Amino acid sequence: MNANSTFIRGQYMDFELLEHPADIGFRTRGGTVAELFANAAKAMLSIASVLDNVTPREQFRLSAEGSDYESLLVNWLNEVLYWYDGKRVALGEFQIDAIDPTSISAIGFGEPRDPERHPALMVVKAVTWHQLKVDETPEGWVAEVYLDI
Amino acid sequence: MPGAIHLEAIDPWRYRIPRDERRGMRTHVVVYGSEALIEQIRRDLSLEQAMNVATLPGIVGPSLAMPDIHQGYGFPIGGVAAMDPDEGGVVSPGGVGFDINCGVRLVRSTLTAADVRPRIRDLVNQVFRDVPCGTGGSGFVKIDRKQLDRVLERGARWMVENGYGEERDARFAEAGGALEGADTAAVSERAKERGLPQLATLGSGNHFLEVQYVESVEDQRAAQAMGIGEGQVVVLIHSGSRGLGHQVCTDYVAQMNKVMPRYGITLPDRQLACAPIRSPEGQAYLGAMAAAANFAWANRQGILHFLRGAFRRVFGDSARLDLIYDVCHNIAKRERYEVDGRKREVLVHRKGATRAFAPGHREMPPEYREIGQPVFIPGSMGTASWVLAGAEGAMRETFGSVCHGAGRLLSRTAVRKGRDARTETRKLEEAGILVRSETRDGILEELPDAYKDVDAVIEVVHQAGLARKVARLRPMGVIKG
Repeated sequence: MNANSTFIRGQYMDFELLEHPADIGFRTRGGTVAELFANAAKAMLSIASVLDNVTPREQFRLSAEGSDYESLLVNWLNEVLYWYDGKRVALGEFQIDAIDPTSISAIGFGEPRDPERHPALMVVKAVTWHQLKVDETPEGWVAEVYLDI
Repeated sequence: MPGAIHLEAIDPWRYRIPRDERRGMRTHVVVYGSEALIEQIRRDLSLEQAMNVATLPGIVGPSLAMPDIHQGYGFPIGGVAAMDPDEGGVVSPGGVGFDINCGVRLVRSTLTAADVRPRIRDLVNQVFRDVPCGTGGSGFVKIDRKQLDRVLERGARWMVENGYGEERDARFAEAGGALEGADTAAVSERAKERGLPQLATLGSGNHFLEVQYVESVEDQRAAQAMGIGEGQVVVLIHSGSRGLGHQVCTDYVAQMNKVMPRYGITLPDRQLACAPIRSPEGQAYLGAMAAAANFAWANRQGILHFLRGAFRRVFGDSARLDLIYDVCHNIAKRERYEVDGRKREVLVHRKGATRAFAPGHREMPPEYREIGQPVFIPGSMGTASWVLAGAEGAMRETFGSVCHGAGRLLSRTAVRKGRDARTETRKLEEAGILVRSETRDGILEELPDAYKDVDAVIEVVHQAGLARKVARLRPMGVIKG
C-alpha cells in the first residue's frame, strides 16, 4: 500500500492512492466524519478529473442513505459520481449539512463540466465495497475505498 | 496470505482448491493455469475470491478460474460460476461486474498490412476523431429517452434498423446482439441519464479500438470460415455498457445488500451481494442486466458504424469492414449443460470470461457451426491478441467458457512509476504501434508490462481443450480513452 504523490499534479492532495491489480483505491482522513465524507468525495473526483479550474459558482443538493457509515460512504460517493457522470457537473467543494450513520445531506459547489477546463484523467465506473473501511481513530476519521476503473 | 492457499495439481493445466467447509464453501475451485501463471496468480487475492464465490447458494459444478484470473471485487476477474435456480441458486450483480456486457468484436477489412502501414497515422487520427471516447463529452448518436428504451430492448438490431450498420451485423453477435427479457422499467432513471449521451463511445480504462493485422494462422479451416488470412488487417473493438451498465450494477448491489438478510444469505464479502434467481430482486436485476447488455451491443455496433466511415475517408469507398463476431465477457446467461449426470438450465456468471461454444451448438451463425464459436482474446497494446474457436472441453468443464484477456499483473499505480506518457508512446511507435489516448496519461496504465504474457494464457486454454488457437494478431494502431 504505497502512496504515490506524483500521480495527481496540482490537484487536491489530501489522500493516498491504494494499489489494486486492476483498479485503484484511496485512503483519506478527516477531523470529523463530515470532513471525512467531503474529503472522500474530493479524492474520488481528483482521480477522475482535474479539479483545479472548477469555479464554485453554482450549488447542487446531494444526499444519500445507508445502514452504517460504510454503506453510507459507498452510497454517498455513488451520489457524487452520478452528479459527475450523469448530470455532468464538476464539483470542487462540499459542505456537509447533516450526517449520521444512516443519512447525509450536503451542498456541492461547482459548475457544468467543460472538457477543456476539467479534462478527464480516468473514467471511474463505480464505487465498490471491496475492502471498504471507515474507522474512527484517536487521530480522527479514516476511510479506504476502491473504485472500479 | 494469498500465497498460503493449498493448490493440488490435477494435470499440467488444471489445479484444484479442495472444498473447505469451515469457510462455507459449497464446492471446490478449479484453476486453469501453467506453473508459471499460477505463481503470478498467487500474488493477489484472486484465489481467495474464487473460494468466496464457491460459498454462493445454488452453485453447481466447481467455482472456475481462468488462466488470466486477477483480483476483482467480490468475484475475481476471470471467474465463472453456474447457479441452479432449482437449488436456490442466486444471481450476483458483482458476478457480472460493473461493466455489464463489456466485450469485444472483431472486424475484418479488405486491406492488407502493406496497404495500411503507410497511412496508419491518418487512419488513427481519423478514427480518433470519428469514434469518440466519450470521457469528457458525448457521442455522435443523439437519441431521446423513448428511443433509449428501444435500444435497451433491441440492442444492436435497433442500431442496424436505424442506419447505424449493415443487415448482417446483428446476426454476427452473441445472442444476435440483443438478449431477450430486457426490462426497461427495471433500469433506474439515473442509469438512463448516464447512458443517454454515451451511445457509440469507447469509454476509458482498458477499453480500446485496435487496428491489427493477422500475423500467423494456426487453423486454416477456422480462419477461412472467419474470412481472415495472413497479412490481413482487422480491427478489435473493446467496450461495454458505459455509465448505464455501471449504474445498473451499483443500484442492484445496493439493493441486494439490503434484502440479503430476508433470504437468509450471509457472505464473506459485501461486493458478492446476491439474491435468489427466483426472487423479485433477482428477476428485476436480470431484466435490467439484459437491458444494459443490449445497450453495450448497440454501443459496439455504433462504434463499428463510425469506424466504417473513418476507413472510407482514408481508403475510399472500396474499403469494406465486415463483422466477424461479437462476444461479451461480463454477463450472466441462462444455458443448458449436463451437470452431475443430468441436463439442467443454469445461470452462468461470466466475470471476465468469454463464452466459447464448441462446434455444433445451435446458438451460432451457421457459418461457424462446424468450427466452433469465434472467441477473441485481447492482449496488451504492445503485444498480441488471439482468435480462438470454442472446443468440447469448454462444454464439459467450464460451462462453455474460456479466458477473456491476458490478465493484469501490475497495478495502475505500479506500472506508472518512473515512466512518462511521451517516452512510452515513442517506444511503442518505434515498435510499429501508433497510440492515441484521450486521457492525459491513459496509455501508461495499459502498458504491456502491466499484463501477463497473453501467449502463455492462450497456451493453457488450448492445451486444456477449452478452445483452439486460430490466429495471432499484431497491433498497428491503438485508440483508447
